[in-house]
Amino acid sequence: MFFDLNIRGSSLENNITLARQASEYGWDHINFSYNQNDFQNALDLREGLKDSLDGIISFDYTLEIKSTNINEIRKTANKFRNKASCISVIGGDLKVNRAVLENIKIDVLSRPYLKRYDSGINHILAKEAMRNNVAIELCFEDVLKSYLAPRAKVISNFRDIYALYRKFDFPLILSSRAESIFDIKTTQDFVSVFKQIGLNDDEINEAFSTSKAILEFNENRNEFIFKGVRRVNDEA
Amino acid sequence: MRLKVLPPTLRKNSRYLTLDIKSASPITKDELVNMIWDACIRFQGECMTSNFNLWVMKFYEIEKTDEYAHYKSIVRCQRDFVENVRSSLALTYRYNGNLVSITTIGLSGTIKASQKFI
Repeated sequence: MFFDLNIRGSSLENNITLARQASEYGWDHINFSYNQNDFQNALDLREGLKDSLDGIISFDYTLEIKSTNINEIRKTANKFRNKASCISVIGGDLKVNRAVLENIKIDVLSRPYLKRYDSGINHILAKEAMRNNVAIELCFEDVLKSYLAPRAKVISNFRDIYALYRKFDFPLILSSRAESIFDIKTTQDFVSVFKQIGLNDDEINEAFSTSKAILEFNENRNEFIFKGVRRVNDEA
Repeated sequence: MRLKVLPPTLRKNSRYLTLDIKSASPITKDELVNMIWDACIRFQGECMTSNFNLWVMKFYEIEKTDEYAHYKSIVRCQRDFVENVRSSLALTYRYNGNLVSITTIGLSGTIKASQKFI
């Protein structure tokens, strides 16, 4: 199953075009991501999308928080927790990276390497990610839209994250962050690129499983009383 | 005088990739050839690209819309380097300042079989 938790959402028509293209290229599920300012309005598009994409591809919404203020991130995450199937925060700032990985209510730290000279993750943050089950997201777009030296640096940052991933086994997810039909690739091409830049087949499959697990976990989030205890509806 | 054809055991094994190409401005077959070579040399390097045995076999124009021109093409590459070629082509984003997207929609061992993806 191929899951993409970060396709940038915009207007209804554009979303439909992207979703149809993604379905044609072999994706099974996509999440349209909106930032905290647009997310509430985007929820109104859900019915229109449902009608147009019924039987073509399943979709949901990701809230993508972009802020360097830790309190604002925490408040926004709490506010939209029940409305979004996935909450991700754009990283890059070390304080943000740390605050996000310590917050169990956030699902994904997106691009911790953004605008940095290093990967933005060290062994301590990797352990926090593992402890709080916060996934680290690597975006295909960052490789696609850069070239020469910047592309080499992004790939180098990816490799640093892979090394920590192999040691600490935190959740890792891969996404395209596509905003137009020029950014969407077939699933095989997507896998090929990540294989070329250092992941193996098992790790890529694991990354897609993690994306699926995040969505399933959030569907039942209300049933969790506290960590490790879940209310079940078992009449037998 | 032409060279004698090599015996089958000494020939290179080929695979045929069917490409789906979307370009913001119309392109020709020659431009596609340059684009493919540029993409491979840029991502894999000159030494690695020399193994790929690249050749654009067919080039089809599918449709032109206001947003993009849509083409499909069949490209030959060497069997053991399919992943390298695929990934290089997938990372093409701009050519001569115009947006371009290349993705592989089919892989087969003969040209005839690859035409079913067109």
